Amino acid sequence: MAAVSAFTPIIRTTPSPSFTTPLFTRTPKLKPLPLTHHSSPPIAALSDPFVLQIAESFEDSIPSSPTLEKLRSFSSESLLSTPWPSRKDEPFRFTDTSFIKQSEIIPVSSPPQQSFNNLSLFQDTHVLNLTLIDGYVMGSLSQLSGLPDGVFVGSLCDINSDEITKRVLEFLPVSEPGDLFWSLNGVGSPDLVVVYVPEGCKVEGCLHLRYFSSEGGVKGSKKLPVSNPRVLVVVEKGGEVGIVEEYMGGDGELSYWTNAVMEVVIGEEAKVSHSYIQTQSLSAAHIKWTSVRQEKSSSYELVEVSTGGKLSRHNVHVQQVGSDTITGLSTFHLSGNDQTQDLHSKIVLDHPRGFSRQLHKCIVAHSLGQAVFDGNIKVNRFAQQTDAGQLTRSLILEPRATVNVKPNLQIVADDVKCSHGAAICDLEEDQLFYLQARGIDLKTARKALIVSFGAEVIERFPSSDLRKKVELHVKKLLDPEGHVENSM
Amino acid sequence: MTLKKIRYQPPLTMTCTWHTLLYYQTPIQPLLLRQPSTMALLHRFNCRSSPSPPLLTTKSTTNSTVFSLSTLPRHRRFHRKFPSFKLTATLAAETTAGSVPSGGGGPPKLVLEVKDLTAVISESGQKILNGVNLSIYEGEIHAIMGKNGSGKSTFAKVLVGHKDYEVTGGSVVFKGENLLEMEPEDRSLAGLFLSFQSPVEIPGVSNSDFLQMAYNARRRKLGQPELDPLQFYGYIMPKLEMVNIKADFLNRNVNEGFSGGEKKRNEILQLAVLGAELAILDEIDSGLDVDALRDVSKAVNALMTPTNSVLMITHYRRLLEFIKPTYIHIMDEGRISMTGDISIATLLEKEGYKAMSSS
Repeated sequence: MAAVSAFTPIIRTTPSPSFTTPLFTRTPKLKPLPLTHHSSPPIAALSDPFVLQIAESFEDSIPSSPTLEKLRSFSSESLLSTPWPSRKDEPFRFTDTSFIKQSEIIPVSSPPQQSFNNLSLFQDTHVLNLTLIDGYVMGSLSQLSGLPDGVFVGSLCDINSDEITKRVLEFLPVSEPGDLFWSLNGVGSPDLVVVYVPEGCKVEGCLHLRYFSSEGGVKGSKKLPVSNPRVLVVVEKGGEVGIVEEYMGGDGELSYWTNAVMEVVIGEEAKVSHSYIQTQSLSAAHIKWTSVRQEKSSSYELVEVSTGGKLSRHNVHVQQVGSDTITGLSTFHLSGNDQTQDLHSKIVLDHPRGFSRQLHKCIVAHSLGQAVFDGNIKVNRFAQQTDAGQLTRSLILEPRATVNVKPNLQIVADDVKCSHGAAICDLEEDQLFYLQARGIDLKTARKALIVSFGAEVIERFPSSDLRKKVELHVKKLLDPEGHVENSM
Repeated sequence: MTLKKIRYQPPLTMTCTWHTLLYYQTPIQPLLLRQPSTMALLHRFNCRSSPSPPLLTTKSTTNSTVFSLSTLPRHRRFHRKFPSFKLTATLAAETTAGSVPSGGGGPPKLVLEVKDLTAVISESGQKILNGVNLSIYEGEIHAIMGKNGSGKSTFAKVLVGHKDYEVTGGSVVFKGENLLEMEPEDRSLAGLFLSFQSPVEIPGVSNSDFLQMAYNARRRKLGQPELDPLQFYGYIMPKLEMVNIKADFLNRNVNEGFSGGEKKRNEILQLAVLGAELAILDEIDSGLDVDALRDVSKAVNALMTPTNSVLMITHYRRLLEFIKPTYIHIMDEGRISMTGDISIATLLEKEGYKAMSSS
């Protein structure tokens, strides 16, 4: 598999047909009349009543907020022309969202009342952390003392500096539109969590954002409480911060829908390390947007491990707005149950000398499991001397398990180094034999190699505590019996 | 000089460890073998004191599945072909340090017996072993030399059960059991170890996890309790020292990003950790500098006991100066074409394989 592990260089490619059309402009099937003006489009005719119904229920569930008004109205407007996605839409060709559509969607309208202090997951409060439950900031469960001067972490309405508020609002709403779920979050988010790092400030240690879903329908009920957490990270010139996002909640039984958005604005020479762990309930829907803007000489490193959710989708969009950027995306998805793990990533390079590396790995270990990967890298005309590499490897361990991968590069610039590779495989025979030749039985050898497959990504988490925790979690999922043995 | 290959049977003394081997100072006569000066060692075989008459038989009639080896016709063990030139081996004098007398006083046991082994490449069906015969007794060190593509490495891989090759005929008996019927892991647990020529990299599996997993598999097999990571750490530290490896080596992934030398050291470390009654060392000398070769050889020599055996595969005489073989076999076109002592390697070094293939 040596050919796969090395990036095979591709100098120029013609864009794949499916991507010649812009991602977010869909041609409506029922086009009433030719549209010639923008001011008052016949939106009503294109609106999806189902979407409007959800949007309305979202609007009713949240308190009014003058600061978020702009975001909400912008999002509502785009919802008017966005239907619920179907399998006929390219971005959802392999991802079936009907599970959400067929549920009774109920927005969680108030912060939880019950006490969570006894939950084991909140034990390690010594680290910087902000806890959100069902999309609401829980100040009492958070620990933010020790942040450097000028750094703000918390709800938008709690910012006590007009300067920061003003600065932050410059980025709301962003001009780059997301999809339906992005807009739904804009309408339904009760609050905006802000992480603000001023110029030249380097935040030590990791800032842990913990998202916990407590409301949920019991198994068999159609109820799907939905939360819309939204985070905006602004790191000014030369600033550095490490952020860990962890989504959890429910022991595999509760059904809920987390519809989260994170926007990251990285200033000149600033650095953001982003760890993202998703271990939500196996009956949950988890839709996540991560939208990143990178200015000149900035660096963004994402390491993701997603194992939870019945339907889990991560949309990562990295937009380069200056030259000499460094972008790293390392993701590992495990579909060990009747579940879908989906990564849609897009890196748009518009400026010279960008460097990007993407590694996506996924394991499907269930016959009804599915993994989807659509990785787009766009190297536009002025992005000369770009060095972009992408590699995806998928491991299918069960008959009838499905993997859909669509790596695609669109290169317009002519002086670039780009590569991509995709492999869907079983375990390496040579590695298995090596372990067997040392007396390790086939079953144990397979287990070890399966666990090691994801380790390549897990090893990239900047925090060793996190690495250990995630490694243990993945091992447990891949080998429930073995874990019981060890714990006994 | 034309070499005349003559089959002969060695005297009884040759069944003990290699330091009793060959003290031939004069041209060997096919039917008249001069007794080594170390005849005193014969006392270990209290029942047989006279060398058996050399035989010209080529086939062994030994039924190795029988355990009572002492009753076997010991004089039929070797099918050896010796060049009829003057042998000047001084092997015995040099190897006293590494040799340990066989424990228990009984005759050495047959560890491995390969008879007429033929094998093909599974995928293409290409014949690659064409009737290999080899017997290894405990305490012996054998070396196989031969041209590239002569089947040396294949032979090693077939012995440990590599799936790329399919055995089409012959038999392999390891410690009285039919090796060919065993799974690779069972062969390992039975005491067969192959040091791979190019060990595969396993990203994501740390060396310590791997070694612990393998060692605990062995302990399970022996009915011993498994070691936890801490206990294992205590067990492995002296082994690391033995192979001259630093402890941080354990945290690295198996062979990932290892230099050639590190990979070979890692193989020997595994041998040290797991132990083996028969260690097959496939080109452990390739890609090693002198220091590394010395370390690796030292470790191998230290691991030798009267009940262990080693089968080395090598291209170079250099290794044989560090690990002294009892016998050297020349492999050619998928069979062992010649067997002898260190002098074969000397001749090889001088004249190449051409000298060996002429008959």
